[in-house]
Amino acid sequence: MNALIRVELTRYRTRRVILLILAAATVLTALVAFKTAWDTRPPTANELRTAAAAAEADGSRTDIKEQIALCEKDPDAYLDPGALPDQCAPALREAAKNYLPREKLELTGTLKGNGIGIALLVTALLIIAGSTFAGADWKSGSIRNQVLFEPRRSRVWAAKAVATGIGSGVAAFVLLGGFWLTLFLVAADRDVAHGSDVVNDIGWHVVRATVLAVGAGVGAFALTTLFRNSTATLSLLFAYSIGGELLTYLLPVGGLARWSLTNNVFGWLETRLEFFDSTRCASRGTCDQPVHITHLDAGLYLLAVLAVAGLVSWVTFRRRDI
Amino acid sequence: MSDLVVETRGLRKVYRDHGRRIVAVDDLDLSVERGSVHGFLGPNGSGKTTTIRMLLGLARPDAGSINIFGQPYPRETTQVLARVGALLERGQFAPDLSGRRNLELLARAGGIARTRVDEVLDEVDLTGVAKRRSRGYSLGMRRRLALAAALLKSPALVILDEPSNGLDPAGIRDMRDTIPRLAAAGVDVLLSSHILAEVQQVCTSVSILSEGTLLKTGKVSELIGESTSRTRVGVAEPDRATGVLLRAGYQVVRDGAFLVVDGHEHPDAITRQLAAEHLYVYEMSAIRPTLESFFLELTGHRPAGAGDPAARAADEVAELMTEPAALSPDEETAS
Repeated sequence: MNALIRVELTRYRTRRVILLILAAATVLTALVAFKTAWDTRPPTANELRTAAAAAEADGSRTDIKEQIALCEKDPDAYLDPGALPDQCAPALREAAKNYLPREKLELTGTLKGNGIGIALLVTALLIIAGSTFAGADWKSGSIRNQVLFEPRRSRVWAAKAVATGIGSGVAAFVLLGGFWLTLFLVAADRDVAHGSDVVNDIGWHVVRATVLAVGAGVGAFALTTLFRNSTATLSLLFAYSIGGELLTYLLPVGGLARWSLTNNVFGWLETRLEFFDSTRCASRGTCDQPVHITHLDAGLYLLAVLAVAGLVSWVTFRRRDI
Repeated sequence: MSDLVVETRGLRKVYRDHGRRIVAVDDLDLSVERGSVHGFLGPNGSGKTTTIRMLLGLARPDAGSINIFGQPYPRETTQVLARVGALLERGQFAPDLSGRRNLELLARAGGIARTRVDEVLDEVDLTGVAKRRSRGYSLGMRRRLALAAALLKSPALVILDEPSNGLDPAGIRDMRDTIPRLAAAGVDVLLSSHILAEVQQVCTSVSILSEGTLLKTGKVSELIGESTSRTRVGVAEPDRATGVLLRAGYQVVRDGAFLVVDGHEHPDAITRQLAAEHLYVYEMSAIRPTLESFFLELTGHRPAGAGDPAARAADEVAELMTEPAALSPDEETAS
């Protein structure tokens, strides 16, 4: 079996389309990391001076001065109970940093924004890679030669699935690990403080994103082996993600958002996903209770989808004519 | 130990195409003896490739049994296929890998020593281009690579499905030379082809298939012996001669200025019959039976006439398969 897995890994990493996809993923990840770093670069001296001047000018406005005067007379009414008059001016005047042209690097915010985005992008590209890996065997007809040399089809299927999983996992871990390492180095260079909980959240996010990429790659391989065609797989995934979303909103059943593929993917990737379920609002007339999809919920959902696709693909591959 | 290397009984395969049932192979009893080069003949769509796919475990029979090397199949697929090499009509390779890499991966998957890759590449004369990506190979090179893959296991049985399809004349000759070489090395060969001249040249026995059913099987020499011989006759007044011979009970077909006469024991009976009517033969030659004529007779097709463009095209293909030096004018006419 090990020899067979090595054979399939060689096929995976030597497929030209997969190399192009991995190159594209590397370039895009690097670009997003660069853009994140660039968009949060420290302000120049000129920008600091301009911001300070703007804050000063704003704070000198008559209406602001009047507000500060009123606040100093009754700080409790403007600020928190027990506030002192000295706290009014700093509280009511905009700080100079609010006039700066961009935010500074903040890793928690990046995790919720570009971090999730890059994880989804890498996963999407690895879905295409897994699909084209299986599709090439059918398109070229080489699958026939392969099963003539290893007629135990279950082993062939399993070796290909494992190779796709390893390929997807390594690629996702290297790319996402590289992305976050770059941002950590940038943060360290800029003396941006971050707590150990942020490091922990990001570390687990990378692990979960890698697991998602493995599952997505293997799932795409399984579906393409089932359909013998990459286009059919990608169309199905597109239809499932878009059509599934539409169904959850169109069906007259409440609480369906819990079962949407997109929500579960986000539930798996994000540190904590809470959202208001609009399908629940429609059916029950109330949506004041946020829905929380835990990592376990999302993981089980995605695992079930993968298991169904894998099982059907494996059973079919074992029995069908090639 | 069975004398049969391949044996099928009641083999049947049905495909479904848009709700329509297509019987590709029906109740096929195929027997291939050890030590033979067995031709598997039939027109396109006759069920040859489907049968081969079932023999190789690529397709499941709907009914019937298969024994290869005397072992039930597909129950013993792994053991059986370890001794079978196959060149499939549409079996291809990973286009991004070199010819050598493709073979190396197949060898590794099949537990075959890597040194065997160099041997088979050398055997099919691909060593020089082995490092090139297979996507850049010509059709002939791809066929040779497929043959190399078939030989990789040092098989006891080689199954070749239309090995000459798409090859140029030199490639066809190479392929045709390979088959006797394999047989001489003790390898049993099952050769599927619709090129009758090719089969007649290299096969010791044949099975003829049409529309999924077996029409005839046996040794080539015996089958050709069953075919009636005909005589080509050149005579001054062919129209009158035709009438004379028809009245005498012969079957006569015009072939240009000549008559092709059938249904006689000895050609001298024809000359006697014509001479009695003052018709004198100026040329006479025997048309020797060929596998093609037997096949056409068996399947109820008219022998290819000179005026039939489609048949002429088929002849040209068949002639490509044949050594010009080995042909007599009579054989050319007959084919």
